Amino acid sequence: MTHSWLRLPAACRQWNGRGIVALALLFAAIPAAIAADAPAIQPPDFARDVRSILSNRCFKCHGPDAGHREAGLRFDRRDEAVKELDSGHRAILPGHPEDSEMIARINSTDSDLVMPPPSTMVQLSDSEKATLARWIAAGAEYRPHWAFLPPLRPTVPGVQNKDGLTAQTKANSPSDWGSNEIDRFILARLQKEGLAPAAKADPQALCRRVHLDLIGLPPSPAELAAFVADPAQNAYEKLVEKLLASPRYGERWARRWLDLARYADTNGYEKDRERSIWMYRDWVIRAMNDDMPFDQFTIRQLAGDLLPSATTDDIIATGFHRNTMINEEGGIDPLEFRYLAMVDRVATTGTTWLGLTIGCAQCHTHKFDPIEHTDYFSLMALLDNVDEPVWVIPSAQRSQQILKTGEKIEELWTQLPSQWPVPPPKPDAQQTAAAAGEPTTDSIDAKRSLAMAAGFDAWNRQESMLAIDWKIVPPAHIQTNATHLVVREDGSILGSGDTTKSDLYEITLPASDRPLHALRLEVLPDESLPGGGPGLCWYEGEDGDFLLSEIEVMLAAADGSASRSVAIAQATESFAEGKNNAAAAVDGNMTSGWSTNGSLGRPHAATFQFAEPVVPGTPLLIRLRFERYFACSLGCFRLSVTDQPNALARGHSAAEEAALGKAPADRSAEDRNLIMRRFWATAAEVAEPIKQIRQLQDGLRQGASSLVMRERPADNPRKTHRHHRGEYLLPKEEVTGAVPAFLPQLPQQTLDGPPRLAFARWLVSPANPLTARVTANRQWQAFFGRGIVSSLDDFGYQGQPPSHPELLDWLASELVRLGWSIKSLHRLIVNSDTYQQASAVSPQLMAHDRENVLVARGPRVRLEAEVIRDSLLKAADLLSEKMYGPGVRPLQPAGVTEVVYGNTAWKVSTGEDRHRRSIYTFAKRTAPFAMTTTFDAPSGESCLPKRDVSNSALQALTLLNDPMFVEIAQALSEVTIAAGSDDASRLRELSRRVLSRDLDATEMRSLADFVVQQRTRLAAGQLNAVALAGTACKNADAVECATWMLAARAVMNLDEAVVKQ
Amino acid sequence: MHKHFSLLDVTRRHFFSDCGIGVGKMALASLLTGSMGNQAKAGQAEGPASPLAPRLPHHAATAKAVIQLFMAGAPSQLELFDYKPKLTEIEGKPIPPEVIGGQRYAFIRPDAAVLGPRYRFSRHGNCGAEISEMLPYLAKVVDDITLVKTCHTDQFNHAPAQIFMNCGFAQPGRPSIGSWVTYGLGSESDQLPAFVVMSTGNGISGGTANWSSGFLPSLHAGTRFRNAGEAILNVLSPQGADMRLTDDTLGLINSLNRQRLSVAGDPEIATRIASYEMAHRLQTSAPELMNLADESPETLSLYGCKPEEASFARACLIARRLVERGVRFVTIYHEGWDAHSDVSGNVKNNCQKTDQASAALVADLKRRGLLDSTLVVWGGEFGRTPMVESNIARGISKGRDHHPNAFTMWLAGGGVQRGLTYGATDELGFNIVENQVHVHDLQATILHCLGLDHKRLTFRSAGRDFRLTDVHGHVVKGILL
Repeated sequence: MTHSWLRLPAACRQWNGRGIVALALLFAAIPAAIAADAPAIQPPDFARDVRSILSNRCFKCHGPDAGHREAGLRFDRRDEAVKELDSGHRAILPGHPEDSEMIARINSTDSDLVMPPPSTMVQLSDSEKATLARWIAAGAEYRPHWAFLPPLRPTVPGVQNKDGLTAQTKANSPSDWGSNEIDRFILARLQKEGLAPAAKADPQALCRRVHLDLIGLPPSPAELAAFVADPAQNAYEKLVEKLLASPRYGERWARRWLDLARYADTNGYEKDRERSIWMYRDWVIRAMNDDMPFDQFTIRQLAGDLLPSATTDDIIATGFHRNTMINEEGGIDPLEFRYLAMVDRVATTGTTWLGLTIGCAQCHTHKFDPIEHTDYFSLMALLDNVDEPVWVIPSAQRSQQILKTGEKIEELWTQLPSQWPVPPPKPDAQQTAAAAGEPTTDSIDAKRSLAMAAGFDAWNRQESMLAIDWKIVPPAHIQTNATHLVVREDGSILGSGDTTKSDLYEITLPASDRPLHALRLEVLPDESLPGGGPGLCWYEGEDGDFLLSEIEVMLAAADGSASRSVAIAQATESFAEGKNNAAAAVDGNMTSGWSTNGSLGRPHAATFQFAEPVVPGTPLLIRLRFERYFACSLGCFRLSVTDQPNALARGHSAAEEAALGKAPADRSAEDRNLIMRRFWATAAEVAEPIKQIRQLQDGLRQGASSLVMRERPADNPRKTHRHHRGEYLLPKEEVTGAVPAFLPQLPQQTLDGPPRLAFARWLVSPANPLTARVTANRQWQAFFGRGIVSSLDDFGYQGQPPSHPELLDWLASELVRLGWSIKSLHRLIVNSDTYQQASAVSPQLMAHDRENVLVARGPRVRLEAEVIRDSLLKAADLLSEKMYGPGVRPLQPAGVTEVVYGNTAWKVSTGEDRHRRSIYTFAKRTAPFAMTTTFDAPSGESCLPKRDVSNSALQALTLLNDPMFVEIAQALSEVTIAAGSDDASRLRELSRRVLSRDLDATEMRSLADFVVQQRTRLAAGQLNAVALAGTACKNADAVECATWMLAARAVMNLDEAVVKQ
Repeated sequence: MHKHFSLLDVTRRHFFSDCGIGVGKMALASLLTGSMGNQAKAGQAEGPASPLAPRLPHHAATAKAVIQLFMAGAPSQLELFDYKPKLTEIEGKPIPPEVIGGQRYAFIRPDAAVLGPRYRFSRHGNCGAEISEMLPYLAKVVDDITLVKTCHTDQFNHAPAQIFMNCGFAQPGRPSIGSWVTYGLGSESDQLPAFVVMSTGNGISGGTANWSSGFLPSLHAGTRFRNAGEAILNVLSPQGADMRLTDDTLGLINSLNRQRLSVAGDPEIATRIASYEMAHRLQTSAPELMNLADESPETLSLYGCKPEEASFARACLIARRLVERGVRFVTIYHEGWDAHSDVSGNVKNNCQKTDQASAALVADLKRRGLLDSTLVVWGGEFGRTPMVESNIARGISKGRDHHPNAFTMWLAGGGVQRGLTYGATDELGFNIVENQVHVHDLQATILHCLGLDHKRLTFRSAGRDFRLTDVHGHVVKGILL
């Protein structure tokens, strides 16, 4: 390393002589360079002016990361920065920039000495150099980073006077300006800059703005007119309350949260299959509408399952971190992609709540912020101890409809005897019957029951004879490589936790006092398993599938080790997926095996007859191997043995077979019912009604699940390791859960409880300085287009300093004081005069504050993709207000989804689903809805705190020609024509619907000319009126419909139609 | 002068002569002189500089454009480029465990038996490159290409590996190479998107993440050209409209937007006006681009292209036309090389669809003097195993599994050597023995040819500077001119 602080050569000492001159010049240049920020006499503020220079320019090599620290020098701590270096010099000598090696080096013209070294391609500007020198001259004081200190509720500026404004403020501002505390913070800063706030926006503009912001939809012409005409003093406040109470509010604000949650309806990666997690999306909408306090909102999403008496909703809320992608390619290592999902969860948690770029510490200690490599994995450990089930909502908590299905199934069972076919009468009996007249209902029923009884008797005789006396054997010992197996009271074994592509279950059965002839393996459904089981398969194959590659039966020695294998003479099963039968599980080939795919969610069994009986007193070691090319192990199963020979799988459940084995007299009512239903299930005579029952049962398994988090059982905690360079294949030492050391720690007592819950509570506790600030800042950005901290995702050293630090802290403390009510914060913002300013930009303001950092005018921002679509749907009276449920597929151009794996078709929804709010649009990750993508909506691949706002030709083409917008223009034509009989009144209607305002005379003239011109061309047949009019417009002839469709299309394409101003 | 400039003139002439005088015409005429680079003329306030304004490279470029022929699904190098007679010799036996090491596999077990090459190889051209009989057309242009036999990747499943090849990172969400390039260099065309994507095979495993702009401004995302209907989504006006209506409508929209600009003062309105101008140009230039009527029958037959039929050949020809018009980065996906079963049939089928046109593209670019400034890159996301994949239960036999350790790609033009075979694998084709080229090295090299230093092409996101090559990558100097 050439650029070493250690190797300070003689040249440098000489340099000091020249340096003084250079330094003097620098000081001379200061006033001009920094005049805008601070008077020259004031030393730079460390937090505001200095730290960002140090962190941006120096920390990479002289910061928190010991692994990449050069010369043992670090500038992130004062004691280290001012200490004497091995060279004998000090990088910083407080009060003496001329003797500080740092200043010498940053000003050096020697490419071997200058800092930062040229190879880093990082350069200090002259004003940055001057700031550092002045800071050292003033004593080089360090202050803790503002964002890492708890927000203190600041004094609101100018509240000395009883009317809320200081005399000076009053004098310099519009007399009635300033309705709440926000305005006083904003005004104080504006006055410092010699600026005044803008005038209030006109009522139409304000009405549109607050509608778009609060509910994501524009006002209808009637709503617009009502507001403008409302003479009440508090007309605006009333409107705000109405909008805050609208169900549309939740749909608008949930969408923003879903950007952070990286919500989508498919799994991502290659197969990108559909997943069921829309219940989480609906939960967010409800939470927003109910104004669930943000602290509760947080805790439920990160740890709702751990709350005492957690509700179904609390568990669904944990879908937040299940929105990570799932790779379903067969060839993957599932645990590798789970690790990658955890990496995403840590980064997302950091961005969403802490506003920290924690993800940077995955591979090494953070270059800039005080987050160590180990801190990263400690944070991961707080979230890591989970299983990730496709949670089937427990039957008891399902909807009425599902309960009714259950009743319907029972009803069908009871009706089965009446479905039994009446046997055709014998020829001679026919004559007898004819002689006796028409047969009575009684006699038909009697014949029916006789026939059924005869069938049952024959079946019962045979099955009773063949029934095997199975003895369920609870294992003495279980060992697995990954899956957690628990033995339950009924002897069944339930699996949870991880599965791999090469799973081995080793199960020891205690010795029997009888000779054993066969082993039975029951595979059983369970609600805790994917798709209801019996397998643990959750990707690539069917949910709940399994493939038993091999089953090996061994005689075990006293110590449990295998001594000799038991040959299997015959393997049978109650059901198999094609060639994947029980025999394939004893053929020595690992690529073949037994699966019950095709009858998942139902119990089945395989029997394995031993070639030679196992002598009494020998424990058995059973090895179950799962070697499919994707993880596909058994989730719930039970082992039984028998001392009877010739055991075959007859397809009965264990209970059915046990009942069949009993003498008829010994059978209980339950036994008899069980046997009867089993008989019906096998009887060809009632195959149709049985099929109906099966379909209803299958329906119960589907459509009632959501992806959730579930804490792992206490006896199977997940170990979290630090991973060298962040790589999955390089796990190092185990780490325990903790928050980064520079932040207040989790309270000790809660560590006894589940750390994930403790962490969720800590995030929203007063101890954490970040969450309230980050959350308040995000709300501010939503309204003004720019955060008070413009780097929404970075409140660390590298982040942008707040434009209004006191206002941010006041908003953060106010949010907490308001009980974390986001709606209250929104109310406060939109009721401020700051928010209600007109948005027009004067050339002066453009020159002074192009980005509107100071908020000397109202916001003017392009609308989000969903708001654009929803607004235009509403303008055309097409928007459906139907809420919730699985995603829908609105119209989009052909071919958008065909390019991705599987060439999936996009089957456009019909009826009102075609025009639902965009939050309900089916979100396919690999081929997102074209229009929203074009307008910068995310595809749910990673947490997105702030969307890009682009302005492209493809957006223009979309608004002009996308069939969805053409359809909207056609519908707009219909409602426009209906609104009046002359062009002027129709144009007024059109502009009110699309732009929420009245046009001025010039605009009216331009549009009216266009209308006349197109009408003439249409009437002359130069344009195809029928094609352009479409089918929506019915109340006028094709020429008129097409004329207004073209006018609507033009207005929909005006800048204002897609802008909030 | 470059061809696309003269074409632009033709387009202008067309506009001025064919578009009659009417309301909005003058406005439209003036639109044509505007570009994303100097859109400020449109309004009183200065528009922000376009993210797509042309920018200078870091160093002198040897390529102005890249055409990436992405053979998705991963072609078998052992049937096409990397001849290993040893595999025939030991066919049916497992590979020694010490060669396999800890390599993870997607579907097969490490003790799977070796499968010998299914096709014959012979030497071609002055350079004597060894090429399979399945690539008769490529064999004729071997003196113009560089074969890199020693590519390797970190990923052994399709979606992550394709995304890794394009984005330098295995999970969706980061910018793709085409996005990085337009971010670094801007666009040379004000008529067409700077980064174009076509697909002629099956659905693509990595999906749209392969041409995503990731955290870069979304303008840098690849624009997909469809095979059927209009190439660019929504470029066609609604049914029943004509050119004059489009002119009238855009004239009205822009005049009202200009008026609004004078009231609201927001420079974003100026950008919006420029966007509609660009949209209008696209509506003319896209159909002109896709109209192959001006291609000679000889050229069409060189590619094996039937103009009315969507095919890889047609896409290659369109790629050439795109590059002629100043488009920076073109990717053609041909997904379908995933030969888990019957590798010989798979290779034969895909070569029939792609070999002629791939070679024709090189030859055509060369004779038009475009090969010197256009880098063509051919290859998949990984290679295929020397071991056979067979699975009775799945009805699979004589296939090959995914192999990340070594695979072959070829490059042509744009500053890479001609007639070179670079790197070598061991006698089993399992591991690299000299000159390995990691995916990040390949990416660094492509950027280098375009005049971009992969270490300097960075974007700050989520607290740090990201680059295409993460913290890795070396320019493969050995293949450069």
